[in-house]
Amino acid sequence: MTEIETRSGGSAGAGTGAASASIALDEAANAIPIGRRRSWLGEFIVRSPMSAFWGLVVFAMVLMAVFADVLAPHPPLKPNFRMMTKPPSELHYFGTDQIGRDTLSRVIHGSRTSLTVAFAAVLLGTTLGALWGLMSGFFGGRFDIVSQRILEFMQSFPDLILAMAIAMALGAGTWTVIVAIAITRIPFGGRVIRSVVLSLKEMPFVEAARGLGASNARLMFRHILPQCIAPYLILATTHLGVAIVIEASLGFLGVGIPPPTPTWGNMLSDALNSGLVPPWWLVLFPGLAITITVLAFNLLGDGIRDQLDPRLRRSV
Amino acid sequence: MFSYVIRRLIFGVLTILGVSVVVFVVMRILPGDPLVAIFGPDGFTKLTEEQRAGYMRDLGLSDPLWVQYLAWMQDVVSGNLGRSFFRSESVAEMIARRGPLTAQIAILSVLFSWLIGIPVAIVSALKPNSVADNVVRFFSILFLAVPGFWLGMLIVLGLLFAFGYRAPLTGASLFGAPWTTFQMVIGPAIVLGLGQAAYIARMARSSLLEVIREDYVRTARAKGLNNRLVIALHALPNALLPVITLSGILLGFVLAGSIPVERAFGTPGLGDSMFQAVKERDIFVMQNLVFLYAVVFVVLNIVVDVIIAWLDPRIRYQ
Repeated sequence: MTEIETRSGGSAGAGTGAASASIALDEAANAIPIGRRRSWLGEFIVRSPMSAFWGLVVFAMVLMAVFADVLAPHPPLKPNFRMMTKPPSELHYFGTDQIGRDTLSRVIHGSRTSLTVAFAAVLLGTTLGALWGLMSGFFGGRFDIVSQRILEFMQSFPDLILAMAIAMALGAGTWTVIVAIAITRIPFGGRVIRSVVLSLKEMPFVEAARGLGASNARLMFRHILPQCIAPYLILATTHLGVAIVIEASLGFLGVGIPPPTPTWGNMLSDALNSGLVPPWWLVLFPGLAITITVLAFNLLGDGIRDQLDPRLRRSV
Repeated sequence: MFSYVIRRLIFGVLTILGVSVVVFVVMRILPGDPLVAIFGPDGFTKLTEEQRAGYMRDLGLSDPLWVQYLAWMQDVVSGNLGRSFFRSESVAEMIARRGPLTAQIAILSVLFSWLIGIPVAIVSALKPNSVADNVVRFFSILFLAVPGFWLGMLIVLGLLFAFGYRAPLTGASLFGAPWTTFQMVIGPAIVLGLGQAAYIARMARSSLLEVIREDYVRTARAKGLNNRLVIALHALPNALLPVITLSGILLGFVLAGSIPVERAFGTPGLGDSMFQAVKERDIFVMQNLVFLYAVVFVVLNIVVDVIIAWLDPRIRYQ
């Protein structure tokens, strides 16, 4: 009952009136895969045009990261001592920093670092957590109890603090930052997937497979795992935004990827270190990049969640 | 109620023990060699063999790990929390000096988040899909994405450009110099409060939308009660329960969020000392501060659980 109400209360989140009017129809179509009229993508665009738009932004960001070398007008690491701390102009659209590096090029290259770290960390952390949750939910018993406690201890830290401690302990580097962020993602994957597995375990199709003599491994990986893919994808997309913010914060606090690699967090940190009054263009543009990226991931995540499983609105 | 609180407390103590083990594993075992964490990989290779052994002995790092863990726990229980590697001040003194500023920031920010989030959520929930609702939703989605420390930097810059104003940077006590303290605290509190307000508004809106559809709200309306009274006295108290829980969790995240935000504003709070500890690679200070933050986080959660149980009999009797 509450689920339906939340859904109808929140469906406005999908955006326009036309879209919400067609939700009921689409859901009916969704329930019977054979009767589907539109492709998955088409349905997604019609149902949540806002999310589709932000999905496009994410796509553009990924392209920017991949083709950073081509897109950046200047080399991101090359100082130019005749153009130090210059405001935005025709030559440098986003201005230059204290040693004359082009801010636009550094923001473009920063997207590469941010996206790589975010994707790698979320993939690693959520996958490890999901596998852990799968085993813990499936086997239950003492293993489950111990796992639950360990995950709880890990969740007793605010994300950023745990990530800072791990990054500091392991020493600076790209992989360190990825591992540090990944570890903070593990409990989320573990707990969500475990609860999904707990309910799946009791379903008749699992009982039937067990009755036919399927082994534990087969039950887990052939019958239960495929059902976990939707919550896994939802979880992963919603955590990408968080990962970007943690990465930027780590860079800002000096435990991120070490300079001179351009990352958005490092750039903001450099701006703050540049003197009593940081030049505005060194502050504005990297932060805008972070905000737009996080916004895009969050809204795309919302859309994917609504598409795959509206019931998870609360739990993920 | 009493047995519930006792159960929650016992559970909390166990959690804190577990947390201390996690902190110890991360700060002492993960780096492999703690000297690498202190001196950095480059500095470490420059040390001679005797220097390494000397440092290890002085810092008590050559003892077996369980002895080190127990020694640390003894420090924690005795209340001095060990010493900084680089300063004469003990970690406990540092916390006493800098903690109040961060605590004020955290509490003020929660106040802000409620002052902004709740009215906005009520407006939003009373007329779903209206212009006001859409504006509110737009801003809450936006503030979920804006990093607090960046917003902080922009505010500092904006005030400088517009009024040539910079908040005071040096220490002040709440009672000694209330106006100076207020100027130092208000910026970070607003930034962190806006971030929380976005979550609070979202949660309060959906919770209120749910409660408004309940039978007892319809009954209240059917009695002919004024709509404002129904919302304020009947719907809101129940709708706020999940918001209180969320606010408690957010408070923990605010403490973490205040680390970069304090750096952006240059506020000399506890978050700033965490940043200093990281910069100086002071793993002993870091270890104790991380533990402190986690303990505060756990305690906050217990307090919130108890408050909720006190407010909501359904949970108390489970």
